[in-house]
Amino acid sequence: MSLLDTLLVMLRVSFGVFVPLCFIAVLVWMERRGAAFFQDRAGPNRANIFGFRAAGLVQNLADAAKLIFKEDVVPGHIKHKYYFILAPVIVFFTAVVSFAVVPFADTLVLGDRSYVMQAIPTDIGILWFLALAGFAVYGIILAGWSSTNKYGMLGGLRAAAQVISYEIPMGLALVSLLVVYGTVDLSEMARFQGQLLFGFIPMWGVILQPLGVIIFVIAAFAETNRTPFDLAEGESEIVAGFHVEYSAMKFAIFFMGEYVAMFTSSAIIVTLYFGSYQIPWLATDTLIAYAKPGAVLLMIGLPVIAYFFIGWMRHSNVSHYARPNDPRKREVTVYTKIVWGLVIVMEIALLVVLFSASGGVLAHIFVAELQIATFLLKTTLMCFVYVWVRWTLPRFRYDQLQKLGWQTLLPLSLLNILVTSAIVISVS
Amino acid sequence: MAAKTKIIKRRGESLPEKVYLIEVFKGMGVTLGHFLRNLRDNSRLYVRHYPEQKPEITPRWRGRHRLTTYEDGSIKCVACFMCQTACPSRCIMIEAGERLDGREEKMPVRFDIDLLECIYCGYCVEACPKDAIRMDTGIFSVVDHNRESMMIGLEELAATPGAFSEEEYTKGGI
Repeated sequence: MSLLDTLLVMLRVSFGVFVPLCFIAVLVWMERRGAAFFQDRAGPNRANIFGFRAAGLVQNLADAAKLIFKEDVVPGHIKHKYYFILAPVIVFFTAVVSFAVVPFADTLVLGDRSYVMQAIPTDIGILWFLALAGFAVYGIILAGWSSTNKYGMLGGLRAAAQVISYEIPMGLALVSLLVVYGTVDLSEMARFQGQLLFGFIPMWGVILQPLGVIIFVIAAFAETNRTPFDLAEGESEIVAGFHVEYSAMKFAIFFMGEYVAMFTSSAIIVTLYFGSYQIPWLATDTLIAYAKPGAVLLMIGLPVIAYFFIGWMRHSNVSHYARPNDPRKREVTVYTKIVWGLVIVMEIALLVVLFSASGGVLAHIFVAELQIATFLLKTTLMCFVYVWVRWTLPRFRYDQLQKLGWQTLLPLSLLNILVTSAIVISVS
Repeated sequence: MAAKTKIIKRRGESLPEKVYLIEVFKGMGVTLGHFLRNLRDNSRLYVRHYPEQKPEITPRWRGRHRLTTYEDGSIKCVACFMCQTACPSRCIMIEAGERLDGREEKMPVRFDIDLLECIYCGYCVEACPKDAIRMDTGIFSVVDHNRESMMIGLEELAATPGAFSEEEYTKGGI
């Protein structure tokens, strides 16, 4: 194992661990500011460090500091303290680990060696995700049971019933997808989606499986216990559901686990149905061959994007009340400098790519970075859809939830398998 | 005389509505419209930037209490215990004493209001026969660091000025 191998293993593992963790902060911020904008409010915009509010991101730091220093209460009536503490750990751990098989770039070729860009380079792919996503609900059930609280118990039971109902349509939607792709390996699936249908449509899962994507997304919402399927914590009926008895950091771990699960399932949806890291019409080989024109385009595009972003920032980051020498304007001048600094650093990096040997190592790395950026952008957009749905749809009633799962999604997914199989057989 | 009736059409019966997904997308369109509008121009958010922008308070609004005085500064209260009796949360504690300035027979020597108990219902103001207690100070934010200082006494109640003129307060009759 050479030094490069070790370095790349470390890089991939740290990507698989730290990206979901970083996305917790981004997603909590997106949820709160997004919710506010959906409802014509402002959201958290006061917390600051020396006047720098980072659009409200500093609020997360304040919340985290508060939750860490709060007293960690384990109520006296809890008999099984071990399971009580184990429950949030299961939820969080499974959510983080299930991201490990998601490919975030095409196989990186450096010299004569190639590296599969997954945290765990394995080919079990979607099976790993299904196993761990199903296991996450054990944490919720365990939390509900070990709380020795009727609300917690009801929340846990609801979660259990819901996951059982929705694993089936989810699994069946996947079956028809596997019929199309012919593999369970997520890297293979991502590579498959780089092809073109009839020579001009990107062969994304959403185009091959329009019904399957709807079923899978609905089931994924239910799996992550997000609105409109968050009956497990229906605060109007059962206070907070499975986490009533949890406080301080134990609650925070549940909370973070929920957001990591949302990130992971977004990543899975993107990988399965929205072309993973593929940029439409630009497959990996094309990108490597045309790395230099791509770099030139980016060099032109980045300052333009930065210019419009700064214009928007200047326009919106002002105090909306009379205030002598508005500190938010000073804040914006600093942000402007940071943005231009970043642009300059990226331009230099692109220049290096431009003057390197064509088709060389740097071109491969450049393409991998481009694909990682694409993947993260798509995942962020999918996470936004989660937030968007949460602040649009009201919660389902329990019987409606079960009816939708068993009487609508299950027959539809069976029909989908039938139609897909028929088409695949007739085409091949 | 036939009453005017308006027949409201029951929604949710037609097929596109029963499919539900179409209506979901319509709803998501509405919320996205709000989101994008606010993202583009956040000056039209329906928010008051509170500590800097105070809400407008009308004379009818029930704020923290005060005890009114005559022009010479002597207190109007006659310690009749009407407010204490009317108080549903029992937050008023009066101790009566003899009045020596000849204006009335009694006056309070102690008049304590526990602001943590008070529910700001305004029954004390209605019960008062002398217009001695009012809730027109316009103070709506009553906060402190300990319980003891939330108990306010005679001096503080009498020293707080009203936030409105006499015409404004008595408009429409007391």
